[in-house]
Amino acid sequence: MSALSRRDVLKLVGAGTGLGFPAVLRAQAREVPMLGLWSFTGAFSDVGPVLDRGMKMALDERGMKIQGKAIKYITRDDETKAGSATRRAEEAVDAEGVKYIIGPWSSGVALAVSEVAKRKKVFHYFSGGTEDISGARCHRYSFQWAASPYTAAKTVVDTFMQANPKAKRWHLLVADYAFGWSVEKYIKEVGKTHGIEFVGADRHPLGEREFSNYVTKAAGNKPDVVAMINFGLDAVTGAREIFNFGLTPKIPLIMTWSAGVEELVQLAPEIRENIWVGSNFYYTADTPVAREFVKSYQAKFGGPPGYAPAASYGMTRMMLHAMDKAKSTEVPDVIKACEGLEVEDLVGKMRVDPKTHQTLRPYFFMRCKKKDAMKNPMDFADIIATGSTPLPAEYAACKDIGSL
Amino acid sequence: MKFPLLVSQLLNGLATGMLYALMGIGLSIITGVLNIPNFAHGALFALGAYLLYTVIQLVGNFWLALLLAPLGVGLLGILIELGGIRPLYKAGHDYQLLLTFGLSLIVTEGIIIVWSPVGMSQLPPPILRGGVDLGITFYPKYRLFVAVAAALLVLGAWLFLEKTRYGAIMRAGIEDKEMVSLLGIDIHRLFTTAFALGCVLAGVAGALTAPIRGLNPLMGVDMLGIAFVVVALAGQGNLLGAIVAGVVVGLAQSLVALYWPEASVAVIFAVMAAVLLVRPQGLFGIR
Amino acid sequence: MSGFKTTRTWLAVFAAVVLLPVFVRHAIATEIWIFAIFGLGLNLLLGYTGLLSFGQATFFGSAGYVAGYLLKHYEVGVPPVLAVGIAVGALTAAVVGYLCVQRAGLYFIMLTFALNQMFYFTAYQWTSVTGGEDGMPGVPRPNVVGLDIHRPLAYYALVAVLFLVALWVMKRIVESPLGKILQAIRDNELRAEALGYEVARMKLAAFVIGGAFSGLAGVLYAMLFGIVPLEAIGFVFSGNVVFATLIGGSGSLYGPVIGSFVFIWLSESVSAMWARWPLLLGVAFVIVVLFFRGGVVEAWARFWAWRARRASDGVAVDVPR
Repeated sequence: MSALSRRDVLKLVGAGTGLGFPAVLRAQAREVPMLGLWSFTGAFSDVGPVLDRGMKMALDERGMKIQGKAIKYITRDDETKAGSATRRAEEAVDAEGVKYIIGPWSSGVALAVSEVAKRKKVFHYFSGGTEDISGARCHRYSFQWAASPYTAAKTVVDTFMQANPKAKRWHLLVADYAFGWSVEKYIKEVGKTHGIEFVGADRHPLGEREFSNYVTKAAGNKPDVVAMINFGLDAVTGAREIFNFGLTPKIPLIMTWSAGVEELVQLAPEIRENIWVGSNFYYTADTPVAREFVKSYQAKFGGPPGYAPAASYGMTRMMLHAMDKAKSTEVPDVIKACEGLEVEDLVGKMRVDPKTHQTLRPYFFMRCKKKDAMKNPMDFADIIATGSTPLPAEYAACKDIGSL
Repeated sequence: MKFPLLVSQLLNGLATGMLYALMGIGLSIITGVLNIPNFAHGALFALGAYLLYTVIQLVGNFWLALLLAPLGVGLLGILIELGGIRPLYKAGHDYQLLLTFGLSLIVTEGIIIVWSPVGMSQLPPPILRGGVDLGITFYPKYRLFVAVAAALLVLGAWLFLEKTRYGAIMRAGIEDKEMVSLLGIDIHRLFTTAFALGCVLAGVAGALTAPIRGLNPLMGVDMLGIAFVVVALAGQGNLLGAIVAGVVVGLAQSLVALYWPEASVAVIFAVMAAVLLVRPQGLFGIR
Repeated sequence: MSGFKTTRTWLAVFAAVVLLPVFVRHAIATEIWIFAIFGLGLNLLLGYTGLLSFGQATFFGSAGYVAGYLLKHYEVGVPPVLAVGIAVGALTAAVVGYLCVQRAGLYFIMLTFALNQMFYFTAYQWTSVTGGEDGMPGVPRPNVVGLDIHRPLAYYALVAVLFLVALWVMKRIVESPLGKILQAIRDNELRAEALGYEVARMKLAAFVIGGAFSGLAGVLYAMLFGIVPLEAIGFVFSGNVVFATLIGGSGSLYGPVIGSFVFIWLSESVSAMWARWPLLLGVAFVIVVLFFRGGVVEAWARFWAWRARRASDGVAVDVPR
């Protein structure tokens, strides 16, 4: 016990019991505690470990120090559940003195965490798509890293129509929740300008596993293209079924809001043929930061990074940039520095809109490769375009972001 | 409503219904003979799928995998029955539930540890890829195969139980355990066999499903709920009823998906609750 | 239990309530007592009546949603919202109970599960009211009779007091004639029926009381984290309260209380150490079922009995329960 102080022992016991000793062990002033709130169990258990990697890499680049203080990085399992996420985020703030939260992965859970950030007055960066965080539920403490669904819809539709001007009959398959509805709305808006006819639009419940019914309905409408607005396992299962029923590769399938690698890796190359993918990140992105990141990631872990580690890496870097700009690690200073922050970072030119806390940045559109065109098993797609049209002001639901 | 669309939906309902029937029969045998709530049934379904995947990775033959995977699950079933369930014959349902639920956690987490939490795809064997033009509609070959295979397996299970001597013993065990043991039959061996058989059926359902739905550690969770619904609809231990109930559930799902997709998950439970209220012994049960 | 034993047990409970926040983060300590109230309600059905209700989250979650909604949109105060929560829990339990008590055995369990799933999917779809998968965040914690309960310790105090009241009420119930009848039903339902008791009505009463306790717990949970998550009405919550009660020991009044502590402690500490913690939870369940069927309470009693035998070589000693 000689090397461990009494304080360390208490900390070990406290951590071991997981119940968190109260304020007694709050972090010292020389430390900056940060929380990575990731999913290690539950529906998104596959992304927890890689999200952890991304954030750690960004912190390691700074030697786990910022402005002379040590960075204390802890992770907690949100179980992909709003209740558990709330409880664990609060525990991290109360017992570990966390002031900076990155995550979670799931949009629904993120809303709960955003509430915690507002209540506890801690900095929060989130990588998912829900519009509420930079929209109806906006407040000074949460920031959104992913592109606006409007940006996504515009990039996807514009680019696809440029490549396939004759594909005027679209069938939509939409996950039945607020995010799905907004993307659907934007696609239809942008589609109007291209003269697209939406021959069908079906909504499926989140967590649907039996897509055969939706696929036969889609086939019945004889579309030129099927566009899916869903995420994760729903998207993978849907894409697989669309292939099983012979729609792809005859007609193209668009995965409008995809994680990219994380979803494509679950599909076989035959299934991926003629799939077009919109994503917030793909590892062939051609920016200096991305190239460096992909190289290090590949060297460390043997394969290219997907969206998850890139997002946690990217968000952590934005947070660190804000700390640099603020020359402080106090939350109010960092927030003010983050608002209007403009950097050339992971995906290119990135700017944080001070009015909505939305990060304005490019969105990627890719086309999957045929099996024989793949240079290695992870060579899923080529980026064919990026787009960064921001959400028009008339759609912005964040009217007043409030005060600190 | 366009006719080809309706036909496709009915085919979907029949195909998925057959899979549901397979799950239901397995669970029905277990609840009927052993009278325990087997909350591990979904996890065993998932294990069947993963074992199929691994055998194909190792030997490259789908058909061999389709044979071995369910046997592997059955083997695990024997171990579970001997080690975990046998001590609990006299214990209440609560402990049996706790045990099987604990086992489902162990199996699911075991799958994550061995195969990783990332989902995977399994293509059907080459001759079953692509689809057939049925004139009215285009339908995937593999799904037709699954519908037929599941139907044959279900028929096989039914024949075993109705026409063979051991099957008769098993049915008697469902009816009256005491009498069966008084007649000198080894009731413990009966229970182990019944449980293993139920596990084999869950495993083969999982193996058949893998090329359709892919592989995912939590793939058994919704199947568990559906299996319970099928058993409740059919009546405990009623195997012909399980076939009909499975198809009913599959059809209900696909038809509801036509008109009210958002409710296609909830409708299953509404049907179950309604049936249990009106006919607690199930549509075909006699107890 | 003799008067001396009762006093000693109550002292132990008081000590636990007072000391827990010293060792454990206040929010977690609060959660433990909330879960204990939930467990007390369940155990009236499970331990005392022999009914394995696998859908208690129906009452817990429904009360939580209604209370959360009233707190958020109508600025209702805490005492009325607690009353509403208890009423919602009791009412939903009356409906579910009425439908379920006619059935027995596996069918009963499956029916409670199915009805729970229906409530769950209704909450899931009715996003305008419940928030669906996102849950209902932003539930406030208004002052109680002028006292501010925002601080974790203050809220803990409120919940602890309510827990003690709930425990006392449940004790009175199980020691009352109703409690005895329920136990008679558990031991031999046919005999109870033959003795002239209206078994179905008694079971329904147990449901309603259990539902009332679950409802109280649901309201307190909503105010604890300021959110009513979807899982509060889901089958995992229903399962957790059953498992916690079994682990504590369903044969005793205090079983659910001990079980709540053990379960939450187990989940929280193991989840921080290993991502695959559900595996250990599953193993814990299997071990309890095979070796410690009466739960912690029984293990404790066995330990004391063993000690008494060893210490006194056959002379009878008054062993604590």
